[in-house]
Amino acid sequence: MSRQLVIEGSLQRARFKLEIDLRIDLSDALGILGATGAGKTTLLRVIAGLERNFFGRVEFCGDLWHDGNQFDRVPTHQRGLGVVFQDSRLLPGRTVESNLAFAMRRAPTRDTKLACETLTEALDLNHLLTQPAEMLSGGERQRAALARALLARPRLLLLDEPLSANDADHRQQLIARLAEWLPAEDISLVYVSHAANELAQLTQQLIVLERGAVMARGETEGLLDAPSALRNREVKPVTAVVTAIDLACGTTTLQLADEHHGVVSELALGERVVLQREVADASDLGASLQPEPEKNQD
Amino acid sequence: MSGDLQAVWLTALLAATTTLLLVPIASPLAWWLARSASPFRSFVEAVVAMPLVLPPTVLGFYLLIMLNPESVVGGLWVELTGDSLTFSFSGLVIASIIYSLPFMVQPLQAAFRAVPESVLEAAATLGASPRDRWLNVVLPMAKRGYLTGCVLTFAHTVGEFGVVLMMGGNIPGETRVLSIAIYEHVETLNYDAAHMLALGLLCFSFLSLWLVYRYAGHRFEVVRG
Repeated sequence: MSRQLVIEGSLQRARFKLEIDLRIDLSDALGILGATGAGKTTLLRVIAGLERNFFGRVEFCGDLWHDGNQFDRVPTHQRGLGVVFQDSRLLPGRTVESNLAFAMRRAPTRDTKLACETLTEALDLNHLLTQPAEMLSGGERQRAALARALLARPRLLLLDEPLSANDADHRQQLIARLAEWLPAEDISLVYVSHAANELAQLTQQLIVLERGAVMARGETEGLLDAPSALRNREVKPVTAVVTAIDLACGTTTLQLADEHHGVVSELALGERVVLQREVADASDLGASLQPEPEKNQD
Repeated sequence: MSGDLQAVWLTALLAATTTLLLVPIASPLAWWLARSASPFRSFVEAVVAMPLVLPPTVLGFYLLIMLNPESVVGGLWVELTGDSLTFSFSGLVIASIIYSLPFMVQPLQAAFRAVPESVLEAAATLGASPRDRWLNVVLPMAKRGYLTGCVLTFAHTVGEFGVVLMMGGNIPGETRVLSIAIYEHVETLNYDAAHMLALGLLCFSFLSLWLVYRYAGHRFEVVRG
């Protein structure tokens, strides 16, 4: 069965415009990458039917969800979604258990091996079930929100930086679980993250957003390994030095004047590189790098 | 039943009826005021808040004009029920609903404003329809607003005087509520009876407010602008 996701149209805000024309088969999980303010979250909100001002068309599996300015042609609650927002959004005044029950009571009947107990065990939530949502730490909230989204028995899972507040161990465990569960449960995935290793492990295709538009699109592995492919705009060379490499996160830290910037690339410690980007954009993930050419011996 | 006991009963009946009817009337209005970006919102807010600043006799006078049997509304009511809205319990209920409207709407509006849109969006993504979200997300989060609104409306209706006098007069068993009974006792120099009823009202008013501050606490605020 086709899992074609179609998003065509635009959304205009005071200082931001999202302009999108995307047809993508979600048989393979989709990653979305981009700097802060690039439009990643807005794009997820458009898919979820939460952006009233998007004018265009959203289709999934042949179902027309959003048509013109009719943002709720199929309203959010009927789209079969599971969403984890950046800020988790657990229902306040309820315990973790009650939040999970809220999702389960409204979930469609589907054959699943992901029982509530399985999820709470795997996501390390069993000791938190009776805790009010307000009492949880950021990481615990994210795990509870992820369990809740999965218990909604979605056909499309939209995850917006869902693991950012968890420690490295939890992140690795959760990524491994998601990579195992989602194909087995036949759940399509759209995953927004700044972490290259998460995108590499969970998604097979990637789009890179910049200033509300798709700047690059391709296989996740290829795009992450070849950041130069992302470059198609005015550049200004700036010299930077590699000061740290975090193998776990897949990031490289560069020193640029007095600032440190995390980027994705395969560079050696101490190597001098030229950023083929404007200085103001150097913090963008996927900044295009190349080793500094040797100086002329004049 | 003695005249004063009858007045107590009638007052309680009027306050309870007004409160019960105001809950479904004020809820959608408060929700709209809390969430709408309409340019008419401030106009509607001002209309709803009018009874807070308008002298009760002014409100009572206009209600008398609007609801008397010669008026369109009053005439229609007579045709439908055979009864007049002026100088009747039904008329008092309508007057009380209008007079107490801000006391129900404003706490609800504040409570609804405190429900983040983000939480409602999350509930929608979990499969909750708009009605489901209202019943199972908004209402539990707004329960203190409802408690405040109900207590204030009930207590305010119990203490009504000016509007009741203008709209209902002083008909025992029909419109003679507590405040009117106290007024009548003072007029006839029966201060002992007036003391009894006044002290009862004083205690009741204090208990009502204590209940609001005890259980709704800092969550109660009068909405402005």
